Amino acid sequence: MSHDHHHAPVASRYDLAPERSDIGLIRPDRFTGLRDWLTTVDHKKIGVLYGAFAMFFFLVGGVEALAIRTQLARPENDFVTARMYNQLFTMHGTTMIFLGVMPLSAAFFNFLVPLQIGARDVAFPRLNAFSLWTFVFGAFILNASWLFEFAHLAGWFKSFDWYNALVYRDFAPANGWFSYAPLSGTFGQADAALRAPRFTGVGTDFWIIGIQILGIASLAASFNFICTILNMRAKGMTMMRLPAFTWMTLVTSFLIILAFPAITVALIQLMFDRQFGANFFNPTAGGQPILWQHLFWIFGHPEVYILVLPAMGIVSEVLPTFAGKSLYGYPIVVFSGAVIGFLGFAVWSHHMFTTGLGPVPTAAFSLLTMAIAVPTGVKIFNWLGTIWGGRVRFTPPMVLSLGFIWMFMCGGFSGIMHAAAPADAQQQDSYFVIAHFHYVLLGGVLLGLMSGLYFWFPKIFGRMPKASVAYWASGLVILGFNLAFGPMHYLGLAGQPRRTHTYHAGFGWETWNFVATIGAFILGIGVFIAFANLVWTVFRGEKCASDPWDGRTLEWSLPSPVPEYNFARSPVIVCRDAFFVHKHGPHRIAYEQDGGEAGVHMPSQSWMPLLASCGFLLAGLGMPMSAMGVPHVGWVVIAGLGVLFIGIWLWALEGPGGYMLKTPVSPVSSAPAPAEASSAR
Amino acid sequence: MSDSAAHAHEAPTSTGIDHKKLIMWLFLASDCMFFGTLISTHLLYRKLYPTGFTDAEGHQRFVQRLFDIELTSFSTFILLMSSFLMALAVSAMHKGGQLKSFRRNVLGVIIFGLIFLGCQVYEFTHFYHQGLTIQNSVFGSTFYVLTGTHGTHVAIGVLWLVLLYFYSFTGRLGGHMGALDVEVAGLYWHFVDIVWIIIFTAVYLVEYLGPDGIWGNGLPPVPGLTP
Repeated sequence: MSHDHHHAPVASRYDLAPERSDIGLIRPDRFTGLRDWLTTVDHKKIGVLYGAFAMFFFLVGGVEALAIRTQLARPENDFVTARMYNQLFTMHGTTMIFLGVMPLSAAFFNFLVPLQIGARDVAFPRLNAFSLWTFVFGAFILNASWLFEFAHLAGWFKSFDWYNALVYRDFAPANGWFSYAPLSGTFGQADAALRAPRFTGVGTDFWIIGIQILGIASLAASFNFICTILNMRAKGMTMMRLPAFTWMTLVTSFLIILAFPAITVALIQLMFDRQFGANFFNPTAGGQPILWQHLFWIFGHPEVYILVLPAMGIVSEVLPTFAGKSLYGYPIVVFSGAVIGFLGFAVWSHHMFTTGLGPVPTAAFSLLTMAIAVPTGVKIFNWLGTIWGGRVRFTPPMVLSLGFIWMFMCGGFSGIMHAAAPADAQQQDSYFVIAHFHYVLLGGVLLGLMSGLYFWFPKIFGRMPKASVAYWASGLVILGFNLAFGPMHYLGLAGQPRRTHTYHAGFGWETWNFVATIGAFILGIGVFIAFANLVWTVFRGEKCASDPWDGRTLEWSLPSPVPEYNFARSPVIVCRDAFFVHKHGPHRIAYEQDGGEAGVHMPSQSWMPLLASCGFLLAGLGMPMSAMGVPHVGWVVIAGLGVLFIGIWLWALEGPGGYMLKTPVSPVSSAPAPAEASSAR
Repeated sequence: MSDSAAHAHEAPTSTGIDHKKLIMWLFLASDCMFFGTLISTHLLYRKLYPTGFTDAEGHQRFVQRLFDIELTSFSTFILLMSSFLMALAVSAMHKGGQLKSFRRNVLGVIIFGLIFLGCQVYEFTHFYHQGLTIQNSVFGSTFYVLTGTHGTHVAIGVLWLVLLYFYSFTGRLGGHMGALDVEVAGLYWHFVDIVWIIIFTAVYLVEYLGPDGIWGNGLPPVPGLTP
């Protein structure tokens, strides 16, 4: 058995003797600094890394958004070219969705789920590290297209003989975040090199492989989280005692594993069209571009709920905490979340009302889309019911969560308008749609995620962000957001088309476009201040108590920052909101007699997840470059797949390892005494 | 083979299902959607273009006459039998780690898997020489990508089993965790087999229903959309 060679329990992993894995390499358990972060399998560190990368990409996507708004500030502006504009809005959408919101949600999943269910780690710690690094490299590949674009603009490529063979126009993706075929695909006959002519440049190839790799990262993470939530709950933590955030993580993860295969297949088909001259979406050879729309939105609509459900979970934790009441109608909130997830698979064609589906499917999708407003509305009323009659405390996370409810509702109202197919036919491809989904994704999701950041930051780093700065930032974000996107409702109904790099004067669009641009900059400044406040807090923030908000769920029962073993002794749960009841109610949290001098089992760190992910990096950079016509780069792709295989193989062979870590437990209990905990308010 | 946290084989899980088995079931659920999408694509295009494809010489070709149903039936049978051997290999591990029996059966699975892959390679080459390419028709695209993706799944399965076979000589493939590793590989193998049964039915057998095949060969193609 590979578990026989455990060392005696140690007080710290730096005390470990060097231990060799099953393949004879020394396990990287005792590193500090960079090597520790690169090999870590600690869900909390992985969560922090997800969060840091996500916030970075939020800023990148934000800069792209501001460039778009600058271009649109006045009619016939020439701040960027039409070609650059296409790349900007495509990368803005792709970045915000796949590199901003999803990884920031994943940061919360990682940090919180094991803590909320009373576990010491996720089910597959190394797979978790693999998800992280695969996401990082996928994000890098997508954005590497910008490096090629800038090099191209600077004229660096002209000395290469393959410059003339370059696939014209765009190095960064330029099809919109949904890359509709046939624009993203091919036309006509394939040549001897199996390549058919195409409408867009190599940016689309970067997009295809980047999204594919990001999808693998999301899938691996979701398998892991479902396993963790179903299998690693503390004693007594039944499904209906799970915190609402953990429930939403579970629903989101199921959405990911069932929705991502559709986009995976669509991307494979598109890749075959572009790289090998296949005809899936090639209209001149009989391919049906509308198939792309179906496959994309079968993924794309559940994706909307993948983005919003985690934010709903966060709000469902923040509101009860600051209202001092339990979540009103907890089972209904959970059930509504599951119903939203289920119905989310049955409404995709409402993105395609104007494609001519016919009256029956249009009516069916219209009705189902209206139906999905019901569980969403139920949640809104439950949140209101939670605040109702509560002793509401205003804090930055509370303000942001209240902002979430209000802004998300506005987005919901315009969503209902889209559900009516005749109205949608008028709104399709106009700024009204932009207004709608930014109210949902920015007013909703971003405010929810920011609320979560300000809520859990004291737990993650043991330091409290400056409240005054946070209020200012929240105010600027909400003000700027409404200034930027409120007018777009009008602009859309007045006919301004989306994805168009400029407009003529005289349509009555000038004023509101200018207002929207000012709003966008206020919003940008607000988000920047909010993030800067957080970064400052990490290093300089004021230290705070372990339970500064009078929290309700298990993570608040732990010291801040949370020790690497999480729970010195495993908790035994007897009710929902166990820690709040422990402090103020009739039931104390009991603890199992594990840990202490005997130690708890900790998983070993490993280089292999990073190594395997590096395979994706090589293959992912090689594929678009081979589409560019760079010679011999096909070998890089093959080498990348080889590295991936070797990484996974060594990962399997090295064995999980692990060591025993002593935990400091008092003879009676490791939970803070009720009085002490509540005095920390 | 892969990792799991904190003495997963000792500490009972909340559901009573091992982490590895649960994650494999989740992966298979996801893979169902994956193959579902591919098979749907193929069937949609078959319905849209019932007449088959045009070869390099410009001749109209019928799918029914392209397929060699005897060969495909044979390889289907071989894959089914490999699942039987896989079940025996899993059973051997569950009966207290009978490694010799495990190796014998898993070697059989590997050989049968390779025979299946060989048949597919032969089939692809044969079809290619018959004029069906991935470029010359929508049917070529959907057929090669669908069956090729399945073939890739089989190839990964064979690779996995080869590694398990050699791993069994290290002495680390034993006990509950060893049996679990083999069982998880078995789940994957059976799933890939079941998917093939569906592909064999939906892609091959339906072409032979009725005198002209289910897609009604001989219908004029949709004007302007001739593949």
